Amino acid sequence: MTPDGAGEPGVSGARRGGSGEPGMTVVLEITGLHAGYDGVAVVRGLDLRVGGGEVVALLGPNGAGKTTTLMAVSGMASVLAGTVVACGAPVGGLRQAHLVARRGVTHVPENRGVLFQLTVRENLRLARLKGRVDTAAATDFFPALGPLMNRPAGLLSGGEQQMLALGRAILSEPKLLMIDEMSLGLAPVVYEELMPVVRRIADDTGAGVLLVEQHVDLALAVSDRGYVLSHGDLVMSGPAPDLLADRELLDASYLGLNR
Amino acid sequence: MGPYLQQILLSSGAGAIFAALAIGLVLTYRSSGLINFAHGAIATYVAYTYTSLQSSGDLPVPPLPNPLAPVEGVFGVEILDFPDFVDLGDGWNKWPALAGALAVAALLGLAFHFLVFRALRYQPPLTKVVASIGLMLALQSAVVIRFGGSRPPPIEPLLPPSVRSSTVDVLGTIVPWDRFVLLAVTLGLTAGLWALFRWTRFGLHTRAAAENERYATLMGISADRQAALSWMLAAVLAGFVGILVAPTTSLTPFNFTLFIVPALGAALLARFTSFWVAAVGAVGLAMAQNVLLYAEIDHGWFPDLNLDAVLPFAVIVVAMMARGQVLPPRGAVETGRLPQAFPSPWRPSLALTWVALAAAVVIWGPFDYRAGVTNSMIGAILALSLVVVTGYVGQISLAQLAFTGVAAAGLASFGADAGIPFPLAPLLAALAATAFGLLLALPALRVRGASLAIATLASALAIDELLFRGDGWFRIEGNPNRSFDDPSMFGVEFGPTSSFPINGDEIPTPAFGLFVLVVLVLACGAVIRLRQSRLGEQMLAVRANERAAAAAGVNVAGVKLAAFGIAAFLAGIAGALNGYKLGSIKIDSFSVLANLSILAFAYLGGISTVTGALYAGTLFASGIGVVLGEELIELGRYETYVAGVALIVTAVVNPQGIDGFDRQQRERVKRWLRRRRARRAARLTAASAAAGAQGPGP
Repeated sequence: MTPDGAGEPGVSGARRGGSGEPGMTVVLEITGLHAGYDGVAVVRGLDLRVGGGEVVALLGPNGAGKTTTLMAVSGMASVLAGTVVACGAPVGGLRQAHLVARRGVTHVPENRGVLFQLTVRENLRLARLKGRVDTAAATDFFPALGPLMNRPAGLLSGGEQQMLALGRAILSEPKLLMIDEMSLGLAPVVYEELMPVVRRIADDTGAGVLLVEQHVDLALAVSDRGYVLSHGDLVMSGPAPDLLADRELLDASYLGLNR
Repeated sequence: MGPYLQQILLSSGAGAIFAALAIGLVLTYRSSGLINFAHGAIATYVAYTYTSLQSSGDLPVPPLPNPLAPVEGVFGVEILDFPDFVDLGDGWNKWPALAGALAVAALLGLAFHFLVFRALRYQPPLTKVVASIGLMLALQSAVVIRFGGSRPPPIEPLLPPSVRSSTVDVLGTIVPWDRFVLLAVTLGLTAGLWALFRWTRFGLHTRAAAENERYATLMGISADRQAALSWMLAAVLAGFVGILVAPTTSLTPFNFTLFIVPALGAALLARFTSFWVAAVGAVGLAMAQNVLLYAEIDHGWFPDLNLDAVLPFAVIVVAMMARGQVLPPRGAVETGRLPQAFPSPWRPSLALTWVALAAAVVIWGPFDYRAGVTNSMIGAILALSLVVVTGYVGQISLAQLAFTGVAAAGLASFGADAGIPFPLAPLLAALAATAFGLLLALPALRVRGASLAIATLASALAIDELLFRGDGWFRIEGNPNRSFDDPSMFGVEFGPTSSFPINGDEIPTPAFGLFVLVVLVLACGAVIRLRQSRLGEQMLAVRANERAAAAAGVNVAGVKLAAFGIAAFLAGIAGALNGYKLGSIKIDSFSVLANLSILAFAYLGGISTVTGALYAGTLFASGIGVVLGEELIELGRYETYVAGVALIVTAVVNPQGIDGFDRQQRERVKRWLRRRRARRAARLTAASAAAGAQGPGP
């Protein structure tokens, strides 16, 4: 739809003004996105940008279109209008979905994307398509994974699975990391521990992180900026402290009271 | 002990091909979730290609790349100058010929993946099973079309003469050396595949894609590419071992294709997961078969029941009982939907028109048409049995034809031997079929989808071998002339030779045709009624989701048993009618390949509706559709080929079958008419409004 982005050379190296810090590379640029399934739009007219090294929270109530947005970036949901430029190239259809991942987009889906029949080590080996994978980087972040290397991932607890998913994401050295509902099905003590890890990934590796989360306060605590979706529409966006400060508006957008 | 040891050691030729097919099946299943019934046919096709290249340097071209092949074959003309064979010089040496044949195998694997099975990825197992059966029929008939049904010309075997001619002495038993080589090669291939899956990136990616395609894609793996590579690998593997063992096992288009049954048994034993269990199981199966075969020949006391052929069935059933689950595991939700099972509305005028038409053809039609319509009506009853068990409950049965055999044989026992009068004898015969149907439903209580298809296929084979051959219950081979009396009630005979006022001198007489018509109408009525009944609703609930049905209080096991029982009864009725028609029973009609085509044609007609069964009836062998086909065009030896290709196309393009397609077109016409009417009404209102605005009204 918009010519912006898609044809532009070297998007990942381009300087962008606006929301991000000056000098930051843009790893994800969504412009006027309509995305959905079977020709029905779930997300309508979304503009979103993630820069390298920043954590961006994508918030909203159930059915707002957060997961669909991530799926559209990964090429798994159809883009009905608008453009998605991830790591320097526009995202194609389902047939080319695997190419998005190869460009450096790592997507940890809602159910963690752990393959139960493979061992922890094999799951980690899947992080990279070519070359050897040094699992040490993952165990640095999550020492608990160390003794579990030869265990089938299906036998891990929920928290361990989430560690495995994040560990694999770290090993894949993403330019853009998307995490969908990390806290789902986990005890508060577990995800409260995992949230700061997300911040560390962004700070240490320079990856841009797009975080979909139900726990607004936890997510905004580690994020630089946030977007709030409701029923497929973008209702507010801005720096994380501003969003937290305007608590009333945030609550209203969740409850659908803003209109 | 000596001869038995020899039998065990000699079996390794068969063991090698079973094992190669079994590991190929496991490979295809693990990479694309498909149980490929055509795997044996691929081995056959490649082995024949090697034979042709090696003996004459001719590369066979299957009929299909030529887009006009079906038309040309059917009309017996050549429109495009498409060669049957490409002449590539004189006979090739064996190694180049091997390379050429394996290249053909790889191309075939690639083509099947991209043209057929990729499109079926998200379809229910039934659709995939039907497509692979279509592929099997097409490939096997392609071999028959190109090479004839006989054995190929003698070729130079792959193994060097020194290996072939030397023998070894194992504990006093002389065994040709090549058997050990075959065994070693097979186990080597198994080890290779195992290592490939265990340790390489390719194996890891394939396992990942097999477990969850979506997650694998998110990790940058192209599931499509993994599946395509596996298909090529499996085809090459099957082809290689096919070529290797062709000299030691008799290669014909039929027996190689049927090696798929023991291979499926071994693969099932391995749960379509472990290469080692599949290979060792297949080799063991071949050994046990040889021993049983020898025992039958060697010992008078050993019953001549073809137990060797029954063995795969026993293995499959034991494997299923041991490893099957009463309810599908969590998450085993079918992605695609089965064809819709419309309740048939009662349209008396339409039904009466068709009944009158059928009656008219049966009474006044020429001989061919009379026989064709009668055969089609019997076939439609058989197809109705599949509508119940496969269409309504979603259980794939490849054994319905075996039930017709049981009923025909039962009719001989009860009617001809015991002298039980007409309405009782066929009913008893159908009840005998029902008993077998209930027996066969037992595996269905624990397995589902394509695994059940395997179990039913194996039981069809077992029923065929156990009951109809050798010392079996019905002993048809030794006693082909057990004939039935014509059915009669209240002094009126209505068999194929009974008198009838019109056209009564030609067999089958109209009396029999009308009798079959009455039975067909009753059967249709019963199935329509079943669909509308509570049991019918429960059947559809089981089909949609067994777990949900069980949670809603449906007795899943009971519904399945009922469906198999009803279906077997209907098949039994068809079998009894067929018995009356023939006046005696023939065994050829119950073979495994015939069983496969029955399901295939029923699917083609429309597996889930009564109307679909009627369409299917016209398609069956010697039905009215085929009679018309022969009349208008020369189908001849292309019949199976065209049927196979039609099945594949149906599965990919139009899973609802002819009936569903017909419904869609009717709906489309109706919608168009409605729109036209609406437009015309709108125009009229607009015109009258304009007229009203222009001038004063009357």
